[in-house]
Amino acid sequence: MTQPDPARPQPARPAPVYRAPREWTRLHPVSPLLGGWAVFGVVGSIALYNVAPDWVGADEELVQAAHWLWRSLLWVILGAVLIVGLAIGIGYLQWRVDEYRLSDEAIEQRKGILFKQHKQARLDRVQAVDVVQPLLARIFGFAVLKVEVAGGENSGIALEYLRLGDAEAMRNELLALAAGVKRAKAEGRDASVNAVLSDDAVAKFPAQPTPVGGEGENPAYASAASLRDVTDGLRSLGGPAGLTETAAAPEREVYKVPIGRLLQSIVLSWPFLWICTLPLWVGLAVWIFPIEFNEIVAVAGASLFTVVPAALGLLGYFWSQLSGGFGFTAAISEDGIRLRHGLTETRRQTVPPGRVQAVQFQQSLLWRKKDWWRVTINVAGYQDDQAAVSTLLPVGTRQDALTALWLVLPDLGDPDPAGTVSLALSGTGDEGGFTPVTRRARLFDPWQWRHRGVRATDRALMIRRGWLVRDMFVVPHERTQSLGLTQGPLQRWRGVATFTVHSTNGPVSPVAQHLDMADAVALLDAQALRAAEGRRRQTPEQWMTAVGIREDGA
Amino acid sequence: MSWYEPGGAAWTYVSRKLIPARLIVLWICLGLPLIAAVVVGALTTAWVWIAAAVFLVGGAWGSWIVYRQVTAHAWIEREDDLIVKKGRLWRSVTVVPYGRMQYVEVEAGPLSRAFGIAKVQLHTASPGTDASISGVPESEAARLRDRLSSRGEAQLAGL
Repeated sequence: MTQPDPARPQPARPAPVYRAPREWTRLHPVSPLLGGWAVFGVVGSIALYNVAPDWVGADEELVQAAHWLWRSLLWVILGAVLIVGLAIGIGYLQWRVDEYRLSDEAIEQRKGILFKQHKQARLDRVQAVDVVQPLLARIFGFAVLKVEVAGGENSGIALEYLRLGDAEAMRNELLALAAGVKRAKAEGRDASVNAVLSDDAVAKFPAQPTPVGGEGENPAYASAASLRDVTDGLRSLGGPAGLTETAAAPEREVYKVPIGRLLQSIVLSWPFLWICTLPLWVGLAVWIFPIEFNEIVAVAGASLFTVVPAALGLLGYFWSQLSGGFGFTAAISEDGIRLRHGLTETRRQTVPPGRVQAVQFQQSLLWRKKDWWRVTINVAGYQDDQAAVSTLLPVGTRQDALTALWLVLPDLGDPDPAGTVSLALSGTGDEGGFTPVTRRARLFDPWQWRHRGVRATDRALMIRRGWLVRDMFVVPHERTQSLGLTQGPLQRWRGVATFTVHSTNGPVSPVAQHLDMADAVALLDAQALRAAEGRRRQTPEQWMTAVGIREDGA
Repeated sequence: MSWYEPGGAAWTYVSRKLIPARLIVLWICLGLPLIAAVVVGALTTAWVWIAAAVFLVGGAWGSWIVYRQVTAHAWIEREDDLIVKKGRLWRSVTVVPYGRMQYVEVEAGPLSRAFGIAKVQLHTASPGTDASISGVPESEAARLRDRLSSRGEAQLAGL
């Protein structure tokens, strides 16, 4: 391992900067105060139970308990203070043992009082780096840094909490380092963090007379594709320690979701429609069945405590739609795709080039007139909160959806990508060069069979399906994990089979059902070959050239 | 005979020893209630014999299915990928590229060990990959694991 190079250029000017620490470091001391506020929610709900009048028919024991708790306001306040104090105290103890550092190959975190945890996120395995700001943290300018790596459950690292600026600086640094490590590996150089740091320092300050040995041994270095070459050297990674922080790679905004469209899209959803027509259904029920209207009110009133959670659930659905899509912005940068969204809790996601495993377009019947689409993606490493993190476009026009796909897969391997994808989205039968399913599939697929189809381009596989709800999957060949072919007895009788592309964990699971047997077998063989070929040629640099971040295809 | 014939290599079928191993499990599950039904039937009303008959027929049918399934379970090692096929009525083929394998697992319970067979399970980054080969002879399982691991390492591609 290379030691921190003494010959590295010395700081030209002192600057208070943040760099990912190489020694074990604690999180920001304010962290215990930012967590643990859920306690107030509990206290609040006790109060709610208490003030709720009897007629709502709450659970009698709960009401009794609440009354007992409420008997003395003093006790409640005291209790609340005690609970909060306890939560903060435990939070403080946890904070004391929660440490992180940047080691030679990974970002590491250790924590836990009773159960010690030590996690490592290898830089060459980084799938995405997110900066998340829950409401309270946002108010005070703090953030959680989440590093997602490919691996089993809970393999990601979450640093709660850092100052927003620190979190962003660290994100930039990690992304740049990860790219550097990957590049060094690809070129067969020393891929440790130190080596990458010093190498990049050389790359950034070629004019400075720095006697750093080693770079002369690598003649390919001058032309080596550096993620950071495009940006000016000063604010880049690996400058002299202490001189600059790693600034965010410049980004170019690609699309936005206007709030009006987001609201309309929520109005044009089945839950909303259902709620709006609820009085109609009740009226219909009253008209058809001879039920007294008063009875319904009585029943509804008595079961308020069952109705309320249901209503809250629906509200929660609307809330997640609104909150997740609020201010949704997609941009590209050298670090990858950047997504920003969130109403109370904001999230800034960065998915490095080529980390998107599969894409799904979806359009419900209600959106068809507007020709709106939702685009979701699979990113390896995202485990929990799939809906919040896996959206590439919450609602957008066909043009936006095409742009979203272009972000992920700039080279579709087709001379007319827009036309092809358009036909893939809303075509039927063999339009757009698709292989349709056979008529024999009608038996168990009477509505959809016309709309199903598959087509492989040079770079990706497209699978179309759906009659009322239209779906389209796109899987880049090099992201194929494995392939499957299945056939049940009925399918066997009709001579059809189902072809599956296994993708990483996520909301997108591409499948092409009821293909003609011969087509399915041919597709399986062809995809196996294409995937092998795709794996041999994948590079992040291609992505950057194709989306126009880099000029040449070096 | 086979519904999917990839070019390049021939299927390697799993060991027939998997048949007795599975039959033992099946008949332990069915045999105990069968015996119970016979005993109860002998002691009380003859109607209980119907239950015994059901267990017997079910067991016979199950045995036949076990035989059919095991004789349909096979794998191929190709240059770039491993193919596993299984099932008769609901049949499936899974193609796993070596470069996508995260790790290979070999497991053998006491019964399997008694028969000298093991189960080789391939894991990719996808939870959907259902690639396990049951009933691989123990020696072959170890070799298969080593071969798969080394090929996987040689061809490993980033996610």
